[in-house]
Amino acid sequence: MKLLICFLMLGSLSSSAWSAESESPETADIWLARLSQSLQTLNFSTSFVVVKNNHAEPYHWFHGVTEENIELEILSLLNGPRRDVLRKDNTISYIEPELPPYSVLSANLTGPIPNILSGDIHALSATYNFISVGKSRILGRSAQIIRIVPKEANKYGHWLWLDEKTGLLLKLAIVTGKGQPLEQIQFTHLDITEKPSESLHQLQETELPNVVDIPQGYQQQKLSWKVNWLPAGFEQINANRHRIAATKQPVEFTLFGDGLVEISVYVTQSQEKQRSVDYVMDGATVALSQVVNGIEVSVVGKIPSITAKQIADSVTLLVRP
Amino acid sequence: MSESKFETVSSLVDNYQTNDDVFDELVKDNHMSETWQRYHMIGDAMRDELPSSLNIDLSASIANAIAEEPTVLAPIAKPSFTESVKAKVVQFAKPFGQVAIAASAAGLMVIGVQQNVADTDPLVPNPVVQTVPFGGIAEPVSLNYQQNDRLSKQQAMVEQQRRFQALLQDHKQQLKFTALAEKEENAEKEVTNPVK
Repeated sequence: MKLLICFLMLGSLSSSAWSAESESPETADIWLARLSQSLQTLNFSTSFVVVKNNHAEPYHWFHGVTEENIELEILSLLNGPRRDVLRKDNTISYIEPELPPYSVLSANLTGPIPNILSGDIHALSATYNFISVGKSRILGRSAQIIRIVPKEANKYGHWLWLDEKTGLLLKLAIVTGKGQPLEQIQFTHLDITEKPSESLHQLQETELPNVVDIPQGYQQQKLSWKVNWLPAGFEQINANRHRIAATKQPVEFTLFGDGLVEISVYVTQSQEKQRSVDYVMDGATVALSQVVNGIEVSVVGKIPSITAKQIADSVTLLVRP
Repeated sequence: MSESKFETVSSLVDNYQTNDDVFDELVKDNHMSETWQRYHMIGDAMRDELPSSLNIDLSASIANAIAEEPTVLAPIAKPSFTESVKAKVVQFAKPFGQVAIAASAAGLMVIGVQQNVADTDPLVPNPVVQTVPFGGIAEPVSLNYQQNDRLSKQQAMVEQQRRFQALLQDHKQQLKFTALAEKEENAEKEVTNPVK
């Protein structure tokens, strides 16, 4: 028995030494490419839980490709009021309690899992490093750990655990620079099938709600202010004026993205003259707000609060000619 | 119990008396054996030989465990031939099974320790969603604050929470709509450089 223990210890030692050695970007690239491929082509039904702060949100997720090569997808939140996202190729439908069901045209649905994982992850390579850091056991399967690490410290890292057999995602953590996880997605069940599941067949039969008509240029409006500083890699992807649904407050809004995370910046007139900066954290998402000279600037996104503060501070009003 | 009996036990403990009859009596009498045990412990304590954690009633707990052992596996009723063979097999196999389990448990422990060292991301939830003044230090609330002041402060906090909730919600909503604009770019990309 002592021999056995010695043997086990030796084994575990050598395996940990091995995993430390294998920090090569090439293998990380290969795994991420495989993840993207698997997310697009495999028929799977899976469940996962998003763990944030002190609560957990369970989801069901189905994905499949029909014989006609149409991608089908269902993502349902299992707790609380029904929130479903349905996808038939480029039509994404949202069924939510706040709004009547609607569809938008898009290549991806928006859920807790970053879209880039099923897209071209190399688009991130200018501002993130991909590192393979060895193996682990997740969901009873052996998993490969890949870290997406920002080159500058003003963003969070994403750690992925990928199934060795299929390349699919088994766990994801959004992690601070010090390695503290803020938000985690843990898969609790994974079924890979030959054919798309029954619920996807039903989705194929159903007619999706009407596509929302967004006027040309609505998302590229000229606003009366600009952001002068952003972390490297962020570009503007939406700029519009709208009212915030819950408070009916009119805002000027800009959305920036670096491919992995998005940052919303809201600017509006405030009744207060000054309000010192304040923020909340919802998992990795920070919402930060301050009023300077009667102008309220708010920043929302999965970024460190210090970065959000820096962005808010960099907002300047444009002097109209 | 009489004083003399205690004395007998005491002298037994101190090895002054070696009468087998007294021993037999001591073993049979529950109270006496407790006394015997206690005296030994006192002796140990005085010689500073006590273990750091005391499991005083070890013998009793073992006796209890044996008493509670389920006897279902060994039915008394009419042992047939196959049953007796099975029982033997079970007897034969059991010790090995236990060793195997013990060994694998030891193995698990070794691996577990190794992993604990390597794995530095426990699934520990963070503090609750809360408003934090920037810099992370809560402003000290002084008792001099007037009731009115505090109320309006509370109201402001509630207001702030609502504002943040609305912002978080709107952020999510905008992401859904914005997907549309991105899609055209993506479509172009897919044409120019197909997925590797």
